[in-house]
Amino acid sequence: MRKLLLLLMCTCLCIVQSWAQNRTITGKVTDGSGAPVHGASVTIKGTNTGTNTKDDGSFSLSIGDAAKTIIITSLNFQTQEISLAGKKMFNVQLQASDATSLDDIVIVGYQAIKKKDATGSVKIVDGQELTEKPIASITQLLQGKAAGVQVMGQSGKPGANAYIRIRGTGSINASSEPLIIMDGVSISSTAFNMINPDDVDDITILKDASATSIYGSRGSNGVILITSKKGKGAPVVSYSFQYGKMNALKLKHLDVMNAMQKFQYEFDGGYYNGNGILDSMISNRISNGTYAPGTTLLTMTNDQRQQLWSLATSRGQGDWRKAMLPTGTFIKHDASISGSSDKFRYYLSLSKANNEGTVYGSYFNTVGGRLNVEYNANSWLKMGTNLGVTNSVENVIREVYNGQAAYTSALLLNAYEPLYVNGKYNITSLGQNAMETTDDNPNVANRISSFATIYGEAKLLKHLVLRSQIGMNYNTLSQEYYLEPGSYLAQTLGYNQKRDNGNRDFVYVFTNTANWVQTLGANHNISGLIGSEFTKDKFYSYSLTARGFPTASVNTLENGATPTQATTSRSDWSLISYFAKAQYNYAKKYFIDLTARTDGSSRFGKNNRFANFWSVGATWDIKKETFFKVEPVSDLKLRASYGTAGNNNGIGNYQALGTYALNVSYNGSPAASPNNLANPDLTWEKAALFDVGIDFGILNNRITGTIEYYNKKTSSLLYNVNVSQTTGFSNYTGNVGSLRNRGIEVSLSGDIIKKKDFNWNVSVIYANNDNKVLELYSDNVPTQGGLALLKIGQPLYVYKLVRWAGVNPTDGKNQYYKIDGTLTESDPSSQAVMMNGKSPLVKFNGSINTSLSYKGIDLSAQLYYSGGNYIFNALYQIGASEGEQISKNQFTDALNYWKKSGDNVQMANIKDPSQRVTYDTDKYLEKGDYLSLRDITLGYTLPADIAQKIKFKSIRVYIQGTNLWMGTKFRGIPEVGQSNGENTSYQPGQLTLYGYPQYKAFTVGANIKF
Amino acid sequence: MKKYLYITLSGFLLIGACKKSELDLYPYNQVETTQAFNTQADVTLAVNGMYYGIRASSSYYNGTWNIVADVLSDNLLTNKAGRGSLLSYNQWMLNGSNTYLLFSGGYTMTRRANAILENIDKFSAGTFRDNAKGEALAIRGMTYFDMARVYAKTYQNAIATDSVLPYITTTDATIMPSKEPVKGFYDKVLNDLNTALPLINASNGTGRLNKAAVAGLLSRVNLYKGDYDAVINAANTALGASPVLPDASTFPKIWTDETESGVLFKVYNTAVDNVNTQGVNYYQVSGGEIKSEFVVEYNFMQIFKTTDIRTSAYIKTAPYLGSMYNDVIKYAGGKGKPAGVCDAKVLRTAEVLLNRAEAYYRKGDETDALADLNLLKKNRYSDYAPVTMSGQTLLTEILKERRLELAFEGDRFWDMKRQNVPVHRDPTKGDKADGSGTPYVYTNLEVGDYRFQLPYPQTELNFNNNLKQNPGY
Repeated sequence: MRKLLLLLMCTCLCIVQSWAQNRTITGKVTDGSGAPVHGASVTIKGTNTGTNTKDDGSFSLSIGDAAKTIIITSLNFQTQEISLAGKKMFNVQLQASDATSLDDIVIVGYQAIKKKDATGSVKIVDGQELTEKPIASITQLLQGKAAGVQVMGQSGKPGANAYIRIRGTGSINASSEPLIIMDGVSISSTAFNMINPDDVDDITILKDASATSIYGSRGSNGVILITSKKGKGAPVVSYSFQYGKMNALKLKHLDVMNAMQKFQYEFDGGYYNGNGILDSMISNRISNGTYAPGTTLLTMTNDQRQQLWSLATSRGQGDWRKAMLPTGTFIKHDASISGSSDKFRYYLSLSKANNEGTVYGSYFNTVGGRLNVEYNANSWLKMGTNLGVTNSVENVIREVYNGQAAYTSALLLNAYEPLYVNGKYNITSLGQNAMETTDDNPNVANRISSFATIYGEAKLLKHLVLRSQIGMNYNTLSQEYYLEPGSYLAQTLGYNQKRDNGNRDFVYVFTNTANWVQTLGANHNISGLIGSEFTKDKFYSYSLTARGFPTASVNTLENGATPTQATTSRSDWSLISYFAKAQYNYAKKYFIDLTARTDGSSRFGKNNRFANFWSVGATWDIKKETFFKVEPVSDLKLRASYGTAGNNNGIGNYQALGTYALNVSYNGSPAASPNNLANPDLTWEKAALFDVGIDFGILNNRITGTIEYYNKKTSSLLYNVNVSQTTGFSNYTGNVGSLRNRGIEVSLSGDIIKKKDFNWNVSVIYANNDNKVLELYSDNVPTQGGLALLKIGQPLYVYKLVRWAGVNPTDGKNQYYKIDGTLTESDPSSQAVMMNGKSPLVKFNGSINTSLSYKGIDLSAQLYYSGGNYIFNALYQIGASEGEQISKNQFTDALNYWKKSGDNVQMANIKDPSQRVTYDTDKYLEKGDYLSLRDITLGYTLPADIAQKIKFKSIRVYIQGTNLWMGTKFRGIPEVGQSNGENTSYQPGQLTLYGYPQYKAFTVGANIKF
Repeated sequence: MKKYLYITLSGFLLIGACKKSELDLYPYNQVETTQAFNTQADVTLAVNGMYYGIRASSSYYNGTWNIVADVLSDNLLTNKAGRGSLLSYNQWMLNGSNTYLLFSGGYTMTRRANAILENIDKFSAGTFRDNAKGEALAIRGMTYFDMARVYAKTYQNAIATDSVLPYITTTDATIMPSKEPVKGFYDKVLNDLNTALPLINASNGTGRLNKAAVAGLLSRVNLYKGDYDAVINAANTALGASPVLPDASTFPKIWTDETESGVLFKVYNTAVDNVNTQGVNYYQVSGGEIKSEFVVEYNFMQIFKTTDIRTSAYIKTAPYLGSMYNDVIKYAGGKGKPAGVCDAKVLRTAEVLLNRAEAYYRKGDETDALADLNLLKKNRYSDYAPVTMSGQTLLTEILKERRLELAFEGDRFWDMKRQNVPVHRDPTKGDKADGSGTPYVYTNLEVGDYRFQLPYPQTELNFNNNLKQNPGY
């Protein structure tokens, strides 16, 4: 083998030799400081002949007579041409290129631009900021990083997606999620979550029209651009490691009853838990003669009762949290190698993370890798590919409001109930045992996400760059859910069953652009971009089930005696786009840019498939004006933009067509069923965005900041248009209504101390958003799940509830306000009124960040705040009921019920059967404001000379705490995403219903570079 | 060199150049409505689609229909240990948000029939066309009749100004219909069924509407109308010369789907379909014990004799968490099907026989009424001996047998409405088998109470201002 290789090399050398030239030149290439530049390319102009500089910057090259000039190029440096006339030794000093570092390039709107030239409302989050948290999900890492970007985890589950809202909620039925683009490919939020944060170079968030309009059809809810890492400079091998322990957050201001409290409460409420725990104890004592025959809990003496209760308490589980909410663990390893030569840039990474969750049985493990390479074939041709693959394996535990869910069980099982009975899991008062459910009904989801971007770029003429790119994102899911033989659920249902289901989602985006950049004269800078793009998404899914498995240890479907279901389905969409952008600036002082885009979507009706979007933006760099002489101000820019963008996400692919479904049957024969009403006029949701902002720096940019105002009006909302139900349909998808989001965003950052060894920075982010429905198809529409309304003049999902008037001190009954304002003690369900301005939408949020470094020690912290929203606290409604939920464990608040006339309390008399019903009242509507110490990190970096002595480039170790403290008045945890993982009836943040709890964590980590 | 580049680039651009036709995408599991009735095979699919629609509706025959009329009346009592389902029905506390699916679900079924009827005439005359038309008409008539039972007074109780929901016969999606008079509505139901009768095949099988079933439905509707000759006439057609009434050994198999004897029309619900709503309406098994949502009301239970085959076929007295309850096991599930999964029996010969017996009686033909009553009892009681009775006693006996035969089958409340009798519940008897436990909270619904008519869904009223809510709500 090695011989072969040698032979091959010799052959290559021979080929090179055969072109041998007659003169040799030598030289050395250095940078501005005189340090050698390694890997710079030295070529003879007009040929492919050339060489690279060695480690010491030296080179030697044979040249022919015809050679007149050599060209020296290297990444990060300006290209130099040197005449050969009469010289043999060349010492060349390269000037740093204009883009001072590759890090400063971002791709915005199909163009690579320098960060500092990114006009418009663009926020760039550096990849470095994302990597050091004990979270496997990239989405949540964005929280608190950019003003006007609200990120709310769907739950605290490992791997959970988040809801991302850029400048408010802009859609009703269509998705309000932003467009997410990874290396030029639009991807789903599920795929977004599969990206390894360590592979991310930066995340760019586009908020205003001048930035989003070029994404046209899908930009109305903002755009998130993710760029993966590329290598630069000498090879760097880095390894990072994290290890963390996490626990479910405890509910604020709430405690569950202990066993004795609950026994007494039940007894006082005249309730006798039918769970049989006390029953069997009593009957045993009657049969062995301890109690007289016929003794019941009510007739025995108080002492007997207390004894019985104590005994039951001792046999009970006590704290169900211990069993249901174990300590979770997080371990992550990342290794990468990256670097570049003058021709080649590379980044290779491997990662592995295991996360055991804080709820019994849940885990989320990932493994993945990435290879990004770029090759400069010559001075005008470049090509590259970014490839990444991530695999995740998750145990999808039950997350419902019943006894199959561990978190529900942790809060609602009585402390006197045992975990085991006769060595088996106790079937508790909730009719299940969540640990048994989790153990015996495993539900494992296996996902693979692949990201590929392949491109070629040619510099033609002097000012024109052509780029052709194909991007692909391929996501698969295979999920296996097994109701094992012998499991409790299998017994209840009368059959055991295994379901294998999954899907594959393939999207490809083919993009071609031509970009012209030129400077005319001294000060006129122009650039123009035209492009076309074709996007197609193909989705395929399957579901297979079988029953009658012989034993739990075999679990492939071939073992099921009776196959019961085999089904597949398919669905596609496509998008055709043409776009153009023109930019002009005069002396980098006055900037103007124009964009236009035409989009056609397969989702829309034949009459209205295509739509045009456009924007205009302007920036004025005041600091560059000679008349501007305010010395402390080091930077001052004013900018404004206006434009349109669209949305077609979140609706079905074929909503415009009137159809009969054929995927139904009757008694084994195929059937056709009316499915959808046609709407050939169905078209884009459109947003008009206005934005004005000011960017400033003071004292040589020690203080920097941005203040922005925006107003976004979304109209032609994709929404269900009702028809009379007598038609056999209730609605079709149409374009009706409009809503507005507007607000102010402020980011401030100050270097309070800036010395050689000692730095202290504080930054503050604040954003508010005012959401208002302007127009609706029909006013006052109740939302799914009840509780809320769509109402003109109000924010989306304004609550509609009965007003609770407290407990009547005289009779211990709940009082309610009727619509007319009078009091009633009877069923108030028809007396609900709108809760003016109170909605689940967050009105303001932001963060306070600080980082402090002294020599090698760094300390940073983030406080995240969010508020103005209201949450319907169903957890409290259930857990602090007035007897209705007496069979379940209750919060200690429930103890404080009305006992005698004159009691002024929050809870009605539990002995009064008429009060054992809970209505949806504003008693349970609570403010969601909170302030959380999201993150605090203490790190130490080994001094460079010591690191180098032990052959490392750098070593950093750190310890970190996540969610260590929270301030809120909310009873429970105010970070509410989904009500729970299996309930989609409610809006994000609307209702708490035993969703996977948020966590707090301690992590240690190390980053090592070789 | 650059030449190659230009060629390559043009190549890319060609691949990238996209045609507008790339946007013409169609679903893989649907056909456009305009293409849904091109061939006879399409019609067959649409006819099957009607039955699929019935099977899929959560409020009709394979949904809550088998319990709602019993919950609204005095046959069933809420089990305190249950999940508290259908409480608003049991307590007559319905409002415009509880009855949505009875309304939309019904029109979803009639929409399917209307589409067939709008398209069927373009096919050539013959048995195929007649049968499809007959099935569509029959399903439409049957569905509208049941919707009318829910939302309106019965024919005999209604006066000229009493109204009922609109009888829609079009697939036009832009309509905003208003209510129409009850009596005219009944005439339309009868017209659909009478038109269907000569068209529909006798041999469609019990899983589809057929000639005997349509005749049986006619006996039912005419009983509500009070046209007793028509009841007898239709019943004779449905039952034939010698009515098929399964005897005591076969009878329990009706409920385990092991026989179709005595069933005129049922909606198939197979193990693969796996819709367990009918069973879950009554109970689920928890810890190996029956956890009933509703139990047999104590006084009603006392009428079930041990010698009556229906007692063991319908009811089981069993413990749950240490107490005994009378659980309804009629929908425990078909043989070989998962728990709670069974065919939905919409019409049985026994009901038609009872319709005829009552019609004979009300016409003054007590002899034939008694004969029908004895025929039924002979097949139900192990200690059967022919009885001789007359007058009110005979009627009471016919109605008692009707209540027993159709218990937990979605008949009682509508039948009380038809007979114009109040619902009086015993406030002293609880949910447990021995009558202890939690009794009814709401006990009396007097004749004429507005709550005999269920409210229209508010969502429809909000949108369609031509439709007015029933009085009282």
